[in-house]
Amino acid sequence: MIHRGVTSSVYLLLLICSVMPAVYAADNSLFIKFKNEDLINGRNLWIDNCKGCHAYGTAGAPIPMLSDEWKHRVIKDKAVLYDHAINGFFGPDDTMMPERGGNENLTDRQVKLAVDYMLSLAKHYLNKQSN
Amino acid sequence: MKLSSLIISMSAALSITTVSGNAYAAGDTVPVKAMADALHLVLDSDRTIYTRKIVNRLVKKEKVIKASEHFDDDKALVLPAQMFRFGSELVQKRAKKLPDVNFSYSLQSIWPINKQNAPKTKAEKDGLKFVADNKGKNFYTEETLGGQKYFTAVYADTGVAPVCISCHNKHKDTPKNDFKIGDVMGGVVIRIPIDG
Repeated sequence: MIHRGVTSSVYLLLLICSVMPAVYAADNSLFIKFKNEDLINGRNLWIDNCKGCHAYGTAGAPIPMLSDEWKHRVIKDKAVLYDHAINGFFGPDDTMMPERGGNENLTDRQVKLAVDYMLSLAKHYLNKQSN
Repeated sequence: MKLSSLIISMSAALSITTVSGNAYAAGDTVPVKAMADALHLVLDSDRTIYTRKIVNRLVKKEKVIKASEHFDDDKALVLPAQMFRFGSELVQKRAKKLPDVNFSYSLQSIWPINKQNAPKTKAEKDGLKFVADNKGKNFYTEETLGGQKYFTAVYADTGVAPVCISCHNKHKDTPKNDFKIGDVMGGVVIRIPIDG
């Protein structure tokens, strides 16, 4: 005999499982190497400090390789993105971007370089999708 | 009957349809991997909501209360990882009264502050190393313990808040002190008995 409560749980779990997104496994080749020197530096900073969350969507971090997550962000004033990255930010669902990505040793200049790289990466994938 | 072999006893007319188009009809057996993934999804979502809607909102945003490992003494909120552990302990206790429900889960690490949370079986050790080395991927295997065969799944547990990182890095008992935000710090181990 099957426990009724467990059966209900199974039903619910299957429904929930059905909407679970595929686990996103990032590959370093996805992080485009641009030729601009600032973007080269930004890429190194991004990989060291931002990739851990933003490449995988950890804690709701938007993934730059996924166009749907960035099409409304790339049109924002860059100053807003800089401010969120430097001072931290609470999203509408109480997600939290920590100040300087949690690395208090990063300078404002370094954070901005990392933001610039992530924006370029997002734009690259947006353009790729639209072509 | 074991959880892994539960048969969906809905009415004959009812079937469960997933977004991907797969359907579970009356009489179907739930695949054990799907069961483990579903359990983890529920556990992880509950913990995420506690982190966002309770800890982030009240501690970081509104600044009306603290969250602390010593929550009793500090009259503070429990940490998200502690909430997860307390849930695991309560499930173990309550499941003893439910013979049809037979699974366990725990939060472990190959760099545990508390040695009780270190992996013990080969599957746990292999799984925790795999999810740390292969970020974004889960680990699945089978193991036999005490004559019982189990399906064991390991899911990465990632450090997402500065307080998690700083506490682990600075703790006197930590075996690793260079964690960064976004690093895999441990894993959730789900174990389900299977036949054979």
